[in-house]
Amino acid sequence: MLPYLTRRVVGAALVLLALSVVVFAIFYLLPGDPAQLVCGIKTCSADRLALVRQKLGLDQPVAVQYWQFLTGLVVGRDVSAGPNVFHCPAPCLGFSFQTDEPVLALIADRLPVSLSLTAGAMVLWLSIGVGGGVLSALRRGRFIDRATTVFVLGGMSIPVFISGLLLLMVFCVWLQWLPFPSYVSLASDPAGWARSLVLPWFALALVEAAKYARLTRTSMLETLSEDHIRTARAYGLRERRVIGRHALRGALTPLATMLAVDVGGVLTSASLTETLFGLPGLGQLLVQSVNTLDLPVVVGLVLLAGFAIVVGNVVADLVYAVLDRRVSLT
Amino acid sequence: MKRKLVLLSVAAVAGSLSVACGGGGATASGAFDPATCQGGTLTVLNQRDQTHLDPARLYTSGGGNIPSLLFRTLTTRTRAGGQEGTKVAPDLATNTGEPSDDAKTWTYHLRDGLKFDDGSPITAQDVKYGIERSFSPELPGGAPYLRDWLVGAADYKGVYAQPEGIAAIETPDERTIVFRLRKPQGDFPYLATATQFSPVPKAKDTGTNYENKPVSSGPYRIEKYEKNKDLLLVRNEHWSRSVDPNRLGCPDRIEIHSGLNAAVINQRIAGGAGADANAVTTDTQLGPDELARLDGDPELAKRVAKGNFPYTWYLSFNTTKAPFDNPKVRQAFTHAVNRQAVVNAAGGSSLAYPATTFLPEQESMGFRKYDFYPAGATGDPEKAKQLLAEAGFPNGVEVTLAHSTHSGEGDGPEVAAALQDAYKRAGITVRLQGIDSASYSTTIANPATQPQIAISGWGADWPSGGPFLTPVFDGRQILASGGNFNLAHHDDPAINAEIDEITRITDPKQAAKRWGELDEKLGQKALVVTLFHGKDAALTGKNVKNAFVSDWTGKYDLTALSVK
Repeated sequence: MLPYLTRRVVGAALVLLALSVVVFAIFYLLPGDPAQLVCGIKTCSADRLALVRQKLGLDQPVAVQYWQFLTGLVVGRDVSAGPNVFHCPAPCLGFSFQTDEPVLALIADRLPVSLSLTAGAMVLWLSIGVGGGVLSALRRGRFIDRATTVFVLGGMSIPVFISGLLLLMVFCVWLQWLPFPSYVSLASDPAGWARSLVLPWFALALVEAAKYARLTRTSMLETLSEDHIRTARAYGLRERRVIGRHALRGALTPLATMLAVDVGGVLTSASLTETLFGLPGLGQLLVQSVNTLDLPVVVGLVLLAGFAIVVGNVVADLVYAVLDRRVSLT
Repeated sequence: MKRKLVLLSVAAVAGSLSVACGGGGATASGAFDPATCQGGTLTVLNQRDQTHLDPARLYTSGGGNIPSLLFRTLTTRTRAGGQEGTKVAPDLATNTGEPSDDAKTWTYHLRDGLKFDDGSPITAQDVKYGIERSFSPELPGGAPYLRDWLVGAADYKGVYAQPEGIAAIETPDERTIVFRLRKPQGDFPYLATATQFSPVPKAKDTGTNYENKPVSSGPYRIEKYEKNKDLLLVRNEHWSRSVDPNRLGCPDRIEIHSGLNAAVINQRIAGGAGADANAVTTDTQLGPDELARLDGDPELAKRVAKGNFPYTWYLSFNTTKAPFDNPKVRQAFTHAVNRQAVVNAAGGSSLAYPATTFLPEQESMGFRKYDFYPAGATGDPEKAKQLLAEAGFPNGVEVTLAHSTHSGEGDGPEVAAALQDAYKRAGITVRLQGIDSASYSTTIANPATQPQIAISGWGADWPSGGPFLTPVFDGRQILASGGNFNLAHHDDPAINAEIDEITRITDPKQAAKRWGELDEKLGQKALVVTLFHGKDAALTGKNVKNAFVSDWTGKYDLTALSVK
C-alpha cells in the first residue's frame, strides 16, 4: 500500500507540473496582451503599458515568470499593493492580473459554491443514473428499459442551458414553488442553501445521470452474463443477493473511474450551470479568467482541476480494490 | 403571473433562449414625485460585477451608472433624458469649470458642506490625491487623458512612487483646485465627469485593496460587497440633496446582484415576482426576439427604456497598405456595402440603424448628414466594380476581413458573413479571419498584428465630437506599440491642425458644429466604411419610476430611479 501511495503522489506531482508547463506555453503562444487589457485598451500609452507590464511581471522572460511561479509555491511572493507590500504566503499561486487578489484566495472563495453544486448533483446523478441503469438491465426490453433509454437520449441531447432554463420557468415562474436561485452559504442558512441549489443540482444531474444510466446498464448486463452470477444462482442464492452483492459490485467498478474524472471536471467547469443559476463558482471564474487572459487564475484553476482528477483517480483505485477483490494495490 | 408569459417563455427557451415578454402586470401606479420618492429597495440584476470599484480604475463615461451612486466627481452628466442629458453639470464643483489662458487653465471651486461617508469634509486636496493615485501602475484601467493633457504628467508614476504629486494640479486652498494643461482643451468639463476626478482621502487609501471598501461621497455607501455576487448599498447619512443637485437618491437601499444569465435577468424583470418588481439592469439589453414579443404586450412595452448610446460600428482599412492606399478601392468598398443586411445581422432595426456618417445622429456630437459614396439600402455593386476597374482591379480584389468570434456582437461572425456576401456581388472575394474575442481588440489595435481590414467599433468617452474623431483620425494618435485606434493610419497635418483648433473651443455648441464639419471632411476621404449605429433597450420592473434615458449613456440612471 505504501509504495503504491508514494508512486501515486510522485506521479500526481509530475502530472501537475506538466499541466502548469502546458498552460503557460499555451498562454504565451496565443495572441493577445493581458497587460494591455489591464491597462485599458483605449489609448494606454506605451510608457504606461510598460509600467503595467513590469508590475504584472510580464516584462520578464517566460522561463523567469515560470520560475517565479514555482518559487511562489514553495516560499510565497511579495507584491506592491500601492502604499504597502502584500505578502502572499506559500503555497502562492500568484495574483490575479485583473483584480490583484491572491489566486488561492479567489479559489477558496468560490470553492464552497462549486463543492456544494458538485456534491449535491453527484448524489442525484448517481442515484438516478445507477438506479435507472440497474432497473433497465434487470427489465431488459420492457417498459422501464425503454423509458430509461428515452431518458438517456433526452438527458444527453438537451444541453444544460436549455434544461436549466426550463426548470427555472416551471418552478420559479409557472408554479412559483421556488424563488429564483441566489446562492446562500451552508453555514449561514442550511435551508436557504438547499433551496438555492436544488434546481442547479437537478439541471446538472440530468445530464450526468443519463451517462451513468447508460454505462450502468451496459456494465450490469455484462456482469449478469458472467459465470459467477450463473454459479451464484445455481447455488440457490436469493436474486436480491445475487444482484446486490455480486452483479452490482462488479458493474460499479468502471463507474468509479468515470466518477473520478467527472467530479474533477464538474468542480471547475460547470460554468453554464453556474451562470444560469447565478452561482459564483469556479466555472464562472474560469470563463472570466480565460476571457480576460488572466493567466495566474487560469493556471490555478487548471491545477485544481488536475489535482481533483488525480485525487479522484487514487480514490477510484482504492474503491476498485474494495469492490473487486482480484485487484490489489501494490 | 399570467399563463401567456409562461407559454411564451417556454417557447423562447426552446427556440432562442429568449425571454418571455407576454404578461407582466401593471406598470407603476401614480406619477413620480421627487419630493416623496424616498423609500424602498431597488434591485439591480446584472450579468457582470463592476470591473473595479476603485474610482482610479474605472473607465466610465459620465461617472458610470453604479459608480455614480458612490463617487461624486467635479462635474457630472445632467440627469435628464435625450439630448438634455448630454450636457455637463457641476457636481462637487460650483460650476462646470472656469477656463482661462485660452482654455489651458481650468479652475474649480468645491461646494460648501461636502462630506465623505465617515463625516469628514471633502477637500480639494482629496480630489487632487484621487487623480494622482490614478497614475500609479498598481491602479491601471482609468481614462488616460490627463497623462497627455496635464503639464509634466506624462512621466508621473503615481502617489506611491512620487508622493510629491503633480505640480500642474494646484490646490491654493481647501475648496479650490486648478489644472494647468499643455494645450487648450475645451472638453475639460466633460473629462472631469470621469471617476478619477472623485475625492479619495489619503488616510483611507489602501492601494489595490481600496476597492474592497471605498469611501463614498455619493448618496449611498457600501454595506456589504461580495465580488461577483452582491453589492449592497445603504444611504450615506452624510449626503443630502442640498449639496447634490443631480442625484435624487430615492430608494433607501440598492441591492446589486451580479453573475446572472441574461435571459434569466430579463425574465425576472418581466415577471416582476416579489423583489423583482423593483428590479432593473445596467448591463443587459433586450435581444431582437424579446423585442419582437413586446408587440403583443403593450403593458410590458411601456416598461422598455429605449436609448441611443453614441456608438459606431465600421469597417477599418489600413490605408498605408495596398490595395487600400488607393482611395478608389476604399470608395468601391463603401458603394458595395449592404447596410440592410448588416443591420439585420446585428439584430435588426430595433437594435441598430444604418450609418453613413462616422458621428452618430446626435446634436451634441455635431451630426451632419452626408453620404459621399452612396450604397443605398442594399449596396451598389455595379458602381463598386466600375471603381475597382478604374483603380486597376478589373477582376476584383481578394482581401482578408478580421472579426471577433463572439457571436451576437457588432464585430461578430454574423456581421462579417453579411459583408462577405455583399462584397461577393461586387467581385470582391472576402476571406474571413475570426479572432478570439479576448484578444480581438488588442490584435487589431497593434500595428504589428493589424489585419488588412477589420470590423471595429467606437464609442466616445463623452458626448462630443472630440473623443469620437480624435483617437480614430488624428495622425498624432498613431501608436506603433499597440493600443492604436487610428486604424487607417491617417495622418493629415491640415486635419490635425483643425482638431487642435476645435479643441480650444469651450462652448459645446460651437465645438459641435465644427466637429460635424470635420466629420464630413473625413467622410469624403473614405477612410472607413461606416456600417451601423447601435440602439439600446432595457426593461424596468413594474414598480420602477422615473426611468428616463439620456443620449450620453443610452441607459436609465440609477441615481434617478424610484420604487415608491
